[in-house]
Amino acid sequence: MMYILEKKNVDQTLSEWSAKYEVYTPQKVEAYSQFLPFTESSELALNEPLNTRYPPKSLFLPQSEVMLKYNKRLNKFDEIKILPEKRIIFGIRPCDASAITLLDTVFDTDEYQDPYWTERRENTILVGLGCSEPPSTCFCTTVGYGPFNQDGLDALMTELDDVYVVEILSDKGQKLFSNFPASSKDQEQSVLNIQLKAKDLMEPAFETENLKQTLDQLFESDYWSEIAESCLGCGICTFLCPTCFCFDIVDEVQRNERIRNWDTCMFRIYSQEASGHNPRPTRAERTRQRLMHKYSYWLDHIDKIGCTGCGRCVRHCPVGLDIRAMLRAASNFEREVVNVG
Amino acid sequence: MSDNGHNPYNPIPMHIVRAYYESNDRSLKTFELVFDHQKDCDQFFSKYNPGQFCQLSIFGKGEAPFGIASAAWEGEFVRFTVQKMGSFTKYIHNLQAGDPIGMRGPLGNGFLLDDWKGKNIVIIGGGCAFSTLYALTKHVHHPKHRPDFEELIVIYGARTSGLCMYKHDIETWYQRNDMQIHQAIDVPEEDWSHHVGYVPDVLKDVAPSPQNAVAVVCGPPIMTKYTLPVLVDLGFAPEDIFTSLEKRMKCGIGKCGRCNIGSKYICKDGPVFSLAELNALPADI
Repeated sequence: MMYILEKKNVDQTLSEWSAKYEVYTPQKVEAYSQFLPFTESSELALNEPLNTRYPPKSLFLPQSEVMLKYNKRLNKFDEIKILPEKRIIFGIRPCDASAITLLDTVFDTDEYQDPYWTERRENTILVGLGCSEPPSTCFCTTVGYGPFNQDGLDALMTELDDVYVVEILSDKGQKLFSNFPASSKDQEQSVLNIQLKAKDLMEPAFETENLKQTLDQLFESDYWSEIAESCLGCGICTFLCPTCFCFDIVDEVQRNERIRNWDTCMFRIYSQEASGHNPRPTRAERTRQRLMHKYSYWLDHIDKIGCTGCGRCVRHCPVGLDIRAMLRAASNFEREVVNVG
Repeated sequence: MSDNGHNPYNPIPMHIVRAYYESNDRSLKTFELVFDHQKDCDQFFSKYNPGQFCQLSIFGKGEAPFGIASAAWEGEFVRFTVQKMGSFTKYIHNLQAGDPIGMRGPLGNGFLLDDWKGKNIVIIGGGCAFSTLYALTKHVHHPKHRPDFEELIVIYGARTSGLCMYKHDIETWYQRNDMQIHQAIDVPEEDWSHHVGYVPDVLKDVAPSPQNAVAVVCGPPIMTKYTLPVLVDLGFAPEDIFTSLEKRMKCGIGKCGRCNIGSKYICKDGPVFSLAELNALPADI
């Protein structure tokens, strides 16, 4: 079943939803776009050629978040009431939605549930917007996803002239759109064509078959120092990455709060031990950790690549390092090593 | 709240009941903690296994991981020995009996006691890393557990006699007829009647048989590095050699990302690994 949301009705629809839900949409912020709460004056940026700069993972794992408030003198703490509101994230791209399902396997395990993550997940509806014209920095099809991938979404919209055609993917999605007009057979056929065409537009960015084995073999090689040579270690590739989830826990003494902040394996202090020893003392080891985590360790954990091909690390690296080129170099480097031997 | 109604990041409220220096240079201090609420106590001991660790929590200072140095049968308290290293451990060292403290745990896998039943246990420790091995030895000592295991051999080295931990208790181990204890210090001292030398050399002298035995090694990296090959030379299989690893940690429950070696998290998949498991991991230590 597919429904029609007319473009001219989007603002009104979001307003109506706002009565019952906190609604987040991509909005213009300076030269970029970012998911922000919808208001009557919001300037929507739904059809920007590029995805939001700031990843919507922040709506589940905020960049900085209070875990508890304490009273040092009484040695007591108050639990934080995490999120009572129901939320809709409208216009999230498939790469970001599938990244959230990857992070579910970290934060929502049988053994330990992270309540800050799971509460927000339970209370949030994800309405996705597929990518009819994926930009050149995107590579979702290479890593096993696609511009209309459905993982994690409750509904998926495809832009078609003056309307969005909405595919329902869950009960939550069905409830949200059940009063909308149904689409015609012609529209559904067009949607199918758009989705296939978008996928065909995307060239494979690197070889993924045996990539894990290649990287595992290169673990102690010079490959890492070569690809990390121009890296500044700024960490922006990890902060903006929708599948990076590392965090630090610190006590904010002046506010009497225990907080967690996004952290990054690209920083020296991340793995610095009290004894002075650091298992990842240079950017080569830290770059290795970043790439190995996504293209080797994730496969060990859930047999999936821990990258959804959103391209943010490619677009926003201040020195233009391109993870796709790094991974192509890995395959070539292995060949060189083998040839020399 | 999550389905099971428990936030794993919340520290469990406890109090210090005993605090005493373990070493004569005051770098090592032992703390025994009791639970403020009986249900937390029951929950802790329903899960606790020697070899596990906890995050100690001080509001305004943060958290840091420490190995548990007590066996469950010793009583409804949890023992930690803390080496003064940085600002957090310096703060802990100033705490006294009666002071409140937070704790999260027990965390990690602990020693594989069920797999070790019916075997000889060779325990090899150095420095303050002996704390979890002390818990293991105490566990094995209990009359209810002792028949589960065959021979018990403990080798424990410290730099000086003043740095030897749990002295009074360990002295009584020499009187036990169900174990061997070999203590060593690095350089000779007056009044020291036990071994003198480094742990790997003492291990060579003691030369425990690998037959039906497991060896557990915890110590500073340099000791572990030279001890593991000695065990291999003695004929211990990599599957029968165990060690406990440490890394910088924050969450302790496999979420925050930082303590991995390859695809294993020290906090969740460890801290106890067999040498066979370690050999299969990349050199990221």
